[in-house]
Amino acid sequence: MKLHRLYAVMRKETREIVRDHVTLSTAFLFPIVMLFMFGYAISLEVENVSFGVLDQDQTPSSAHLIDEFKESAYFKLVRNYDSEVQIHKSMEINEVKLVLVIPPGFNSLMGREENPEVQLLIDGTYSATALVALNYGMTIVSKFKEVEDNSLIDVQTRIWYNPSLRSMIYVVSGLYAVIIAAFPPLLTTLAIVREKESGSIQQIYASPLTVPEFLLGKLIPYGVISSLQLVSIVAFGYYWFGVPFNGSLGYLAIAGLIYVFCNVGIGLLISTITNSQLLAVLLALVVTMMPSILFSGFVFPIYAMAEPVQAYTHLFPGRYFVDVSRGIILKGAGPSEMVRPLSFLLVYTLGVFFAAVVIFKKKVA
Amino acid sequence: MWTRLKSLMLKDVIQFSRDKTILGVVFWLYTMEVLICGYAMTFEVKDLPIAVIDHNQTVISRNLIDKFTLSEAFDVAGYPDNQEQAESWMRSGKVKYVMVIPNNFGEDLRRGESPGLQILLDGTNSNAASLAKDYTAAIVRNFEMEFTDNPVALGSTVRPVVQIWYNRAQTLESFVVLSMIVAAIMMVGTIHSAASITREKEVGTVDQLMVTPTQVWEIFLAKTIPTLAVGILAFFPSLFIIWWFGVPIKGSMLLFVFLMAIFLVSAIAIGVLIASITKTLQQTLLLCFFGLFPILFLSGTMTPTESMPAFLQPITYLSPVKYFMDICMGVFLKGVGMAELWPAALNMAIIGAVLYIIAAWRFKHNLSS
Repeated sequence: MKLHRLYAVMRKETREIVRDHVTLSTAFLFPIVMLFMFGYAISLEVENVSFGVLDQDQTPSSAHLIDEFKESAYFKLVRNYDSEVQIHKSMEINEVKLVLVIPPGFNSLMGREENPEVQLLIDGTYSATALVALNYGMTIVSKFKEVEDNSLIDVQTRIWYNPSLRSMIYVVSGLYAVIIAAFPPLLTTLAIVREKESGSIQQIYASPLTVPEFLLGKLIPYGVISSLQLVSIVAFGYYWFGVPFNGSLGYLAIAGLIYVFCNVGIGLLISTITNSQLLAVLLALVVTMMPSILFSGFVFPIYAMAEPVQAYTHLFPGRYFVDVSRGIILKGAGPSEMVRPLSFLLVYTLGVFFAAVVIFKKKVA
Repeated sequence: MWTRLKSLMLKDVIQFSRDKTILGVVFWLYTMEVLICGYAMTFEVKDLPIAVIDHNQTVISRNLIDKFTLSEAFDVAGYPDNQEQAESWMRSGKVKYVMVIPNNFGEDLRRGESPGLQILLDGTNSNAASLAKDYTAAIVRNFEMEFTDNPVALGSTVRPVVQIWYNRAQTLESFVVLSMIVAAIMMVGTIHSAASITREKEVGTVDQLMVTPTQVWEIFLAKTIPTLAVGILAFFPSLFIIWWFGVPIKGSMLLFVFLMAIFLVSAIAIGVLIASITKTLQQTLLLCFFGLFPILFLSGTMTPTESMPAFLQPITYLSPVKYFMDICMGVFLKGVGMAELWPAALNMAIIGAVLYIIAAWRFKHNLSS
């Protein structure tokens, strides 16, 4: 390995990046745009669910229960029905997602300290909303009582790390892992496959440049860009979204660097096995971006997945970094608690690099 | 004119079918990815790992723990020795929930002194945390009801009776499977059409085409139809996944394929527009990649649009995916027909048409300059 040759490749690559304004602005702007949009868009809180009421009781008690729904931030009353027939039509055209049916006699049963029933009809098509909305609705109904609470056990709940239960904090802290899985592999893989497609890679083969020199020369500029991306999104998350930072910046930097190079390495690996940019992008999509959203525990908890899928998630580095970034940033976890995911990540990264160099060498030879 | 169009299309079909790996990736997106997601994506709180510190160690406390062990929602992951260990488990993410049963829990409960039960919740996943809180309340309530001799004294409560429509099993699977298929259709339509146009631009064959009598719209059409055909054909293997997960098909499949074609055209239009802006394949693919995700996410495929902040809500109406999701849910789960779905179909068609017009204008503009 000769440093001046490595330096030459890096300089060429850097110049190409700087001159290509579309790519450059994509590289720096999009991570922040993505964090911004998804930070707001992926909200797991359900607010303003449109609901309708069929009040067959028409008493102060039933009006009181309806008020409880109206006053909560979760529901928005859009329709009052006169008969059950209207409900079907209204659900079919997506006018309401939830209907509260209060049967006749509700008030008198309440007065006699019996347990009356009310019906909650819910549109189950968008189950994610349905489940959460249903839960809110059931909580409102169950809490609705006119006598004093006389439970036998006093449940004292303390919520840590995100006491106000803002889903934004959860989503944004997970997005760090997703965004780094999206951009660096793509940029790196395109940088190499582009040379393959245009044929300029033949000149590289013919030059005295060695495989590690060429790969490192490509890797370092993209590694630097990707690290800057990580810094920019973490800073944006902290200042804009108010994601608390309870851990050590040093640990995060080390973990982040490993994760960045892991993803750049995956990009490298993809580029060694493909010859077309279109295929490279599709592979990056299937191998890095989608798994980092779906199988990393970023919003879909891994512990709730089926066993074989839980095993499958280990194939993707995102799941380790989601644990690490949330652990360090939100929970203030130290190295002893992060040993497992970090060592996984490190082994993974080394494996990816090794595979990339071996495959690339074979192709050159 | 038709001969020109036919030969242009033939060329594109040949190019597409030669690239077996790309066809493989398309197939993967339409089937395997959907299959795995069907098993992976869930918002339910199921098997939440919890740690239990039982200072009481009596039959009563063990009874309570059993209630948690037996519930679907929780999974006792371990019994830490002390508070410190429990906290360390929380930080490392091993458990998301710690329950501490105090020293004289059983005795106090017998004497009617309402003992405290401490719950420490990892709030990072706000959704899971608030669901876990509600489940805890329900389990504790249940335990109380069994424990006391006089359940009436616990007061009269309103019992919610829940009816879930259109998706009785209340599983996310139907929704996930359909939304992942929609995502696959979208991605393939956009990326493939954008790439095939840009590739011609990059190698210069587009200039050759422009000096022939070929019109811009003919090029567009020749690029649209093969992608459209592949997009529609690739849906049929997906039907197997739909069957596998037991997603009901209540409406007309014929209607669905027709509406899917409109949706695909609007997806392809996005690709064509991207191709009209960029110069190199690299730029095109980067733009596609990062244009697609907002389009998919802002459309309610993953999270409901209702819960998005007000300033993002208007943007969701620009995404054809939003309309197509309604169509999917309508045809598969509700069994509604054209009478209910025509506004969504019209919106998709308008979005597609507008995008094509802008793309055609950009294309001519670039070539003349």
